[in-house]
Amino acid sequence: MMSRASFLVTLPLLAILSIGLVPLVTILAWSFWTWDPDTYWIKPDPSLAGYTAILAAGRWTVLLSTLHKAMLAAVLCLVAAYPLAYAIHFLAGRRMKLLLMAAITIPFFTSYLIRAFSWRLVLGRTGPVNTLLVDSDLVAEPLDWLLFSDFAVMVGLVASYMPFAAFPLLLAMRRVEPSFLAAAQDLGAGFWHIVRTILVPLTRSGLFAGFLFVFVMVVGSSTEVQMLGGAGASIVSVMVNDVMRVANFPLAFAISTVVLVVLFSLVLLGNWAFRLSRLFEDAAS
Amino acid sequence: MKREYTTQDRGGAQASNLQRRRLLQLMGAGGLGLMGGLPFAGRATAQEAAIAFWASATLDIGDGWSRLTEATGITPTFTDNGNDMGPVVARLAAGNANDLFDVGGFQGGAERELFRQGQIVPWDLAKIPNFAKLWPWAKDMAHLKADDGAQLGIPSVVNADSIIYRKDKLGVVDSYGVIFDPKLKGRVSMEDAWINTAVFAAMYLKESENQPIKDPGNLSVDELGLVMEFLIKHKTDGQFRTFWNGWEQGVQLVADEEVDAMTGWEPIVYEGQKRGLDVAYAAPVEGYEGWGNNTVMLRGASERGLADAAHALVNWMLDGFYGCALATSRGYIVPSETTAGYATANPAEFDPADISAKADHVASKFAGKVYWQNVRPDNFQLYEEWWQKLRNA
Repeated sequence: MMSRASFLVTLPLLAILSIGLVPLVTILAWSFWTWDPDTYWIKPDPSLAGYTAILAAGRWTVLLSTLHKAMLAAVLCLVAAYPLAYAIHFLAGRRMKLLLMAAITIPFFTSYLIRAFSWRLVLGRTGPVNTLLVDSDLVAEPLDWLLFSDFAVMVGLVASYMPFAAFPLLLAMRRVEPSFLAAAQDLGAGFWHIVRTILVPLTRSGLFAGFLFVFVMVVGSSTEVQMLGGAGASIVSVMVNDVMRVANFPLAFAISTVVLVVLFSLVLLGNWAFRLSRLFEDAAS
Repeated sequence: MKREYTTQDRGGAQASNLQRRRLLQLMGAGGLGLMGGLPFAGRATAQEAAIAFWASATLDIGDGWSRLTEATGITPTFTDNGNDMGPVVARLAAGNANDLFDVGGFQGGAERELFRQGQIVPWDLAKIPNFAKLWPWAKDMAHLKADDGAQLGIPSVVNADSIIYRKDKLGVVDSYGVIFDPKLKGRVSMEDAWINTAVFAAMYLKESENQPIKDPGNLSVDELGLVMEFLIKHKTDGQFRTFWNGWEQGVQLVADEEVDAMTGWEPIVYEGQKRGLDVAYAAPVEGYEGWGNNTVMLRGASERGLADAAHALVNWMLDGFYGCALATSRGYIVPSETTAGYATANPAEFDPADISAKADHVASKFAGKVYWQNVRPDNFQLYEEWWQKLRNA
């Protein structure tokens, strides 16, 4: 007979399977179907047309550039979030801690559209950054590459998704006993030595969780690329929208399947290497 | 006193639509019991019907819809369809749109395809007396008719687009050549949508470069290759500052002086002028890109016995008040003599001079060369293929 605990676990598990897994399996199956121009829908004629189309028109380069953008944004978010999380957990007093935590949530105060749009105003030819550069005679003309460029896209992505790196790092740092750091200091270890040999190894799971959150969010994003990128700049979500607009459903499903396989592989690999579950273990255990 | 018409809340419209459907179900069930099994839907009349109107937000007149109810008894529920025909066609073909909605207001070009699929049914012009008052060319638009001449779509709003440009920097512009002028490298933009950008480029190549292009709105495989290679070359040369997407981005490019010229919508010019910029709208020698939102009757309306109500709705939209409300709130025009006529007859409601000026302005654009925007050209999937090549070039 099923125990009470097993029963309680079974219900959410079934919910997750039905909400999460069923649509994903459906997408996988439909990616092998064929588009029917008569019905504007797909029919169960098995075909690899969706997957071969990924290799056409440079679509595979969008997949690669999306992964590259996601990886770079995730690393930059971690670089920015790590000292912030360190300061909040180890240096800040109670009041400052609250203030910094609140500051991290600022990007969530506005919609992602407004956030991206505001960067257009800041980085544009007549925006404050260019105005300051020109007025201070650092440049003769406004810098065009500040906006509608890969640089602008990265600024928008990091500004939007940095909190998703900061919070797992904070969780991970809670598991680091301050006495470890004090002991290392007493034994003569310098700051960077402590960071390299104690802090980073003990917060690996938080680093990977932060990386993963940002990576996944960027792969699914489109606004920052569309608003801040150059002419025709693309990312997977934009490409899927383009494809859906002309009802090429098998291709859209095939692209989604490839992305899902990459993301699942990353999660499994990361869990194996970094033991993500440790993030939620009791600090004392 | 002039009335202001606001856009109806989207969530509210959807909610009221669902309530209406539920109400109809209950009334239908009750009708069966009370009236010996006569189906409710078969007896629906224009006087008692509710119509679910699924259209581009452009067509919404907000509080003004109450005038439809006063005039015909029809209660409309307006739902914004997002103005992107890709998801709209998909939802009609593979989704439940025909179960939920009765009348569509769609960007032009997909009417014949939707009719071929059986998603829409033709209008009976005998039940739309105001159709006769449409401007002559609006009555004769070929892409709104089936092969047998049946009317598939009724033009609800039209306009024609060209180039927004900085007059103080460029002087008077009268050609799309300005968009491809190497002297303006990095200072121009086009829309991030092949349904417009491919048409503008094709118009330029056809009219000013004498390239063998028959219809810029419906390019053959070879023509499409020619046009897109042309755009790809200019993109890789760094000609475009960016491709813009949506009203706010279009306005920002002009207002913040990111570009000196771009293809786009005329209201952006007015927004730039409001901000003190010397911005103008070109009358290009190659012509305008015409666009329209057309009203279609969804198959579901016919199946539910709401065809008469749908006809009454569209006839009212061509009766004058709707055109004046739309012209006042958005500056767009119903291509009918009733628009200016209603304002003249009802000066307390609308400014006749303002409405006439707007109608004359749009009419003057269509008096010259116009190529139509087309959301479903014959090779539409190939357009996407080329658009990806352009993006990735």
